[in-house]
Amino acid sequence: MAQQGNVGELLSMLDSPVLGVLEDITAAFKDNLICDRGPMLVNNLVDYYLETNSQQALHILSTLQEPHDKHLLDKINEYMGKAATRLPTLSLLGHVIRRQPSWKHKLSQAPLLLSLLKCLKTDTDVVVLTTGVLVLITMLPMIPQSGKQYLHDFFGIFGRLSAWCLQNPGHVAEIYLVHLHASVYALFHRLYGMYPCNFVSFLRSHYSMKENLETFEEVVKPMMEHVRIHPELVTGSKDHELDPRRWKRLETHDVVIECAKISLDPAEASYEDGYYSVSRKLCTSSKHHQTDPSASYYIDTQSSYGTSTPYSTPRLTLSQMPGQLPQILSPQSIRLSTEPQQVTIWSPSAVCGMTTPPTSPGIVPSESSQSSSQPYSKAFGTSGGKGTPLGTPATSPPPCTSDDFVHISLPSAAATPPKKEDKTDPGRPLLYRQQNVINSDKSLGKLNTPSSKSSVTLSDLPEFLGGLSFEDSAEKDREEDAISKEISEITTDAEHMVPRGGFDSPFYRTNESLSGSQKKTHSVVSTVQGHSQTSEPLTSSLDKPGPESARETPKQTFTPIDKPCGGSGESPAGNREGTSGETSILTPSPCKVPAQRRVVFGSGQPPQYEHLFEVALPKTAYLFVGKKTEELLKKAKGTQDDDCMSSTSPVEVLDRLIQQGADAHTKELNKLSLPSKSADWTHFGGSPPSDEIHTLRNQLLLLHNQLLYERFKRQQHALRNRRLLRKVIKATALEEHNAAMKDQLKLQEKEIQALKLSLQKEQARYHQFQEEHENIVAQLHSQIRQLQHDREEFYNQSQELQTKLEDCRNMIADLRLELKKANNKVCHTELLLSQVSQKLSNSESVQQQMEFLNRQLLVLGEVNELYLEQLQHKHTDTTKEVEMLNAAFRKELEKAKLCVQQQSQRLDASQKRIAELESQLAKKDHLFLEQKKYLEDVKIQARGQLQAVESRYKAQKRITQAFELEILDLFGRLEKSSLLKKLEDDKTEAAEAAEERLDCGNEDAVAGYSEETIGRNGETKPPSTRGSSSSKGGSSSELSTPEKPQNQRFSSRWETSMLLEPSTTLPLTVGSLPSSKSFLGMKARELFRNKSESQCDEEGVTINRLSDALKTELCKDPSMETKAPPSPDNLSLSPKIQESSVGQLHIMDYNETHHDHKG
Amino acid sequence: MADDSQRNFRSVYYEKVGFRGVEEKKSLEILLKDDRLDIEKLCTFSQRFPLPSMYRILVWKVLLGIIPPHHESHALVMKYRKEQYWDIHHALHVIRFINDSTPQVDVFLRIHQLESGKLPRSLAFPLEPEDEVFLAIAKAMEEMVEDPIECYWLVSCFVNQLNSKHKDSLQQLPKILEQYLNIEDNRLLMHLKACAAMSKLPYDLWFKKCFAGCLPESSLQRVWDKVISGSCKILVFVAVEILLTFKMKIIALNTAEKITQFLENIPQDNTDAIVSKAVDLWRTHCGTPAHSV
Repeated sequence: MAQQGNVGELLSMLDSPVLGVLEDITAAFKDNLICDRGPMLVNNLVDYYLETNSQQALHILSTLQEPHDKHLLDKINEYMGKAATRLPTLSLLGHVIRRQPSWKHKLSQAPLLLSLLKCLKTDTDVVVLTTGVLVLITMLPMIPQSGKQYLHDFFGIFGRLSAWCLQNPGHVAEIYLVHLHASVYALFHRLYGMYPCNFVSFLRSHYSMKENLETFEEVVKPMMEHVRIHPELVTGSKDHELDPRRWKRLETHDVVIECAKISLDPAEASYEDGYYSVSRKLCTSSKHHQTDPSASYYIDTQSSYGTSTPYSTPRLTLSQMPGQLPQILSPQSIRLSTEPQQVTIWSPSAVCGMTTPPTSPGIVPSESSQSSSQPYSKAFGTSGGKGTPLGTPATSPPPCTSDDFVHISLPSAAATPPKKEDKTDPGRPLLYRQQNVINSDKSLGKLNTPSSKSSVTLSDLPEFLGGLSFEDSAEKDREEDAISKEISEITTDAEHMVPRGGFDSPFYRTNESLSGSQKKTHSVVSTVQGHSQTSEPLTSSLDKPGPESARETPKQTFTPIDKPCGGSGESPAGNREGTSGETSILTPSPCKVPAQRRVVFGSGQPPQYEHLFEVALPKTAYLFVGKKTEELLKKAKGTQDDDCMSSTSPVEVLDRLIQQGADAHTKELNKLSLPSKSADWTHFGGSPPSDEIHTLRNQLLLLHNQLLYERFKRQQHALRNRRLLRKVIKATALEEHNAAMKDQLKLQEKEIQALKLSLQKEQARYHQFQEEHENIVAQLHSQIRQLQHDREEFYNQSQELQTKLEDCRNMIADLRLELKKANNKVCHTELLLSQVSQKLSNSESVQQQMEFLNRQLLVLGEVNELYLEQLQHKHTDTTKEVEMLNAAFRKELEKAKLCVQQQSQRLDASQKRIAELESQLAKKDHLFLEQKKYLEDVKIQARGQLQAVESRYKAQKRITQAFELEILDLFGRLEKSSLLKKLEDDKTEAAEAAEERLDCGNEDAVAGYSEETIGRNGETKPPSTRGSSSSKGGSSSELSTPEKPQNQRFSSRWETSMLLEPSTTLPLTVGSLPSSKSFLGMKARELFRNKSESQCDEEGVTINRLSDALKTELCKDPSMETKAPPSPDNLSLSPKIQESSVGQLHIMDYNETHHDHKG
Repeated sequence: MADDSQRNFRSVYYEKVGFRGVEEKKSLEILLKDDRLDIEKLCTFSQRFPLPSMYRILVWKVLLGIIPPHHESHALVMKYRKEQYWDIHHALHVIRFINDSTPQVDVFLRIHQLESGKLPRSLAFPLEPEDEVFLAIAKAMEEMVEDPIECYWLVSCFVNQLNSKHKDSLQQLPKILEQYLNIEDNRLLMHLKACAAMSKLPYDLWFKKCFAGCLPESSLQRVWDKVISGSCKILVFVAVEILLTFKMKIIALNTAEKITQFLENIPQDNTDAIVSKAVDLWRTHCGTPAHSV
């Protein structure tokens, strides 16, 4: 709650006059809003605003950020429900919405919208309704798609309000109805623009009912005259226009412009996207067709309005409102001034559509009558500060009737400008203001009756106007006369205008303002426009050096054609400016337009246009030249009569109302002294009755609302404008870029051509080179061919030669062969020769033998003959014998034959037998071989096994050797140790043993004994260590010494006996052994000695060793135990005996050697 | 040539195409089927082809005479061999030359010493150089053969063969090495001579120990195949090939000590390739390996 109090304090300080505090407080509020998310502060602010209407609070509220919107909307909704606070709440809502907050999309969901709609449906207060409708209209483009669910509510509201406009159930002041009408009109535009299909279907259904028909006729139909057919009606459908996609890409201002495009009402319409150009063309052409002169005038009017108004009105406002007006007013004034301008731009089309301009004059009076019905007050003045200049026309147009038209149009046009230049002082406005006031007073007075008796219907307006104009004309005559006079003067002398200023300038202004309000109406206006048009160059020439413009303008003024020409020329220019960017129109600063204007003039536009005009419209030119004033007048009149049919848009009506109100206000103001104007406000405020004040306040409120709405629209336009500008800039940039690209393209094309040329050149060169190259190649080829040919020839030659060479070689070989053969033959022949010679010698010897044999043969033949002779002598007596012998021989032969047979048979048999036996033999042989092989095999096998066995056996031998070594080693050690122990005990025993031995021993025995001892020593010593040969040697030498001297035998024996212990214990039975033992010991010692040197006869060594081992065993037996096995003894006997026999010899040898040694 | 009829007729082409040893196993099996093993043929086979590892030990045993050529007597002979081994083993145990903790290789050495009658009187006696050789070979063989008895016999017979059969030719090997190195790479020889490293090359390791401890067993087996089958020249070529393979490194080394050091510890990664190349080299230089010694 402390905070609550705090907030209260802050709120109270919010409207502090101190600037610093103000800023602090605002900052504090904003901080609080950021920190605090609760609804409390917002609620307080809303309360405060509703109480005090504080601008600061409004500012803060309208800039609320996201989290607070709900609270605000809730609060507004809450207040909306209460009738008392409804109006300020609505205005607050309007403010907030016009700010276009970031959360505007939430509006459609907010209950506030529902309550607003409900309020619009049910409320009966016109002011609230008007405000609400405006708020709704403002809101609609922000929530285009989400608002569709309320479409029928919107339509219902429209229906209700349109009916309201007509029926006025609340019987409120008509002035409110004008406002309401204007807002309904705006709603109509908005709904038609946004949801054409739905809206039209609504209209169709709603106004098909009989009870509504009147409303339609009176209210809706005129509205529909101000819209074109919406394209959506053709292409779209009910559902399509509610499609979110349609709205998604449109921003708020887009929607607004969309709506404006549909409008034919110059006050509402927008001329983007070629709508305008078409309509414009239409209007110009149609006008020319209809009535060329008048049309040209109309054009003039447009142009003049388009250009002149901006200058004049601001200036006026400036002059008339000396800083007192709140800032809002000045833009408003501009706004007002611009609107007429738009109107002027549009007017021709409207005219061409209806061809009945004069309605507006009618309206103006009606409005003025309305306004005049209420006494003028400062309340009106506040808003009408700028309205004053506008107000004037309401009265002034009537003076400019058709009578004056001719006079004024031509001369005054030229004359007025310089005057105005000179007369831009504050004094002048006052003059005409007074006039205006008077006029308006009069007119108001006259118009009181008609206005009171009926509601202001548009159809009535012309009549009013007519009446008004007639009434006014009388009064105006004076002025016009004076003006005409002045004009006539001026025509002669352009510089002569100074005195006329007082008259002319108000006149001009009235015309201008009138035309602004009336638009496109009757010829009076057009004449006035003639003025205004001239005035426009003048105003522009305000900034320029005077003489120049003055000189130019006169030229135009003299011929009516010129003016229209110039005007028409200008007007398109002006219009274009206006349409293309609207910049010139909308810019509040007039400086810009003058600048453009100057350019137009400086560049000699008029002649250009003139020329164009003549070319384009020769007919009109002729007409203008031929007929001047009268024709124009007639036509003007004609048109004036015609134009009572056209309907006026509610906006215009409202405008006029405002103008009139403003006029009235200025008149009131003018009654006061200038400096006390600000003070007068309060003064005025005090006097009027309260209900009037209330009405006026409401009116003011409505106006304000309207104003705010218009401002909102302007903002949207500005937004759009900026975007379009950007597009234009982009487009121009792109065009330039295009141009640059084209240039580049050209350059590159040139380059390409140059490159192509060079390419061709290069190609030609290349071809040339190629040809040369080919020529060379061909030459070279031919050369190569030739050379190859040569080479082949040479090759052939060489081959031939080679073949020849080979032939030669072959021949040589052949020859050699032949030579060899010949040689062979020679050798052969030689051999043959020797053979032949041998044979020869042989044959010779054979011949000799032959001869010898022949001789022998001869001798033998002779002998044979002799024997034959002897035989023949004997043959006769032996025939019997012979026969006997023959028979015997035959028998013998037979026997022999048999025997032969037997023999041959035997032979066969034996031969067979032999063959058999031979085969058997072979078999046997084979078997034998196999057996041999097998035997071999077996042998080898056995040998292999034997080898294994042998190696095993060898290994065994090695093992035993190793064992022996080990044992001997161990013995050696054992003996050594025991020797030392028993040394003393053995002394006596040794002596006894020595005696015994002496008794039974002989020389041999002694010798053997000595040897034995030595052998024993040898036995004992060697095993001690195999490696220590030195000790062995030592011992042997030690032992050998006693042997050599025989005398010292005893002593030596002593010593030996001392050394030897086992010998003493030896039994006598074993005594036989010593000799052999001693020998063996010797042998062993030798062998051991030798062993290290050579291992050649291992077998012997091993045998000796074996015997040694046996001996040692035997020696050991008595000393240790009598368990010496008999088997080893027996086993060892046989070798021992063998050895002993050999040993004997050795002993002998040994002894001999010993003896030799001894000897 | 009765074997050839049983052999695959494609075997000729295998070798032409470059597949070696496709048919060798089969032919070896045929050889081993003979009741009386033809030792000559086995020798030739072992010289000509690498032995399949599954028959290697058998072939070695036959070639070294550990088992006779008759299959019948194999069991008996092996029994003898075994008994002999255990006898000696027992004897050594008795005379306390060995005990249970003695390494197998030392056991082999002692057994060998005892068998050859060179058993020292005491364990403390320093080892002779020939004993070192034996130990090295035994160590290598131990890796190749699982059965200790077989191993002992192989080692023992191998050493005996080296000492008896190849004793003279082993002394010639350094000279032959120089000769072949001269043929193969003169520059390397020059370098070695310049470093005076020729005399200091590890000949003992190479020729006496037959690369035992120098090459890994898998490669060593292939070298020993040839040695056991009677050619000790292969050792030279292995040595030459080692020198050639590590030529760059050897040339980089300047002193004889370093070279010797390096050669004694050559990297073991591509010894198979070395041995293969050495065998090829041996074939090219000694022609048909059957007749080379």
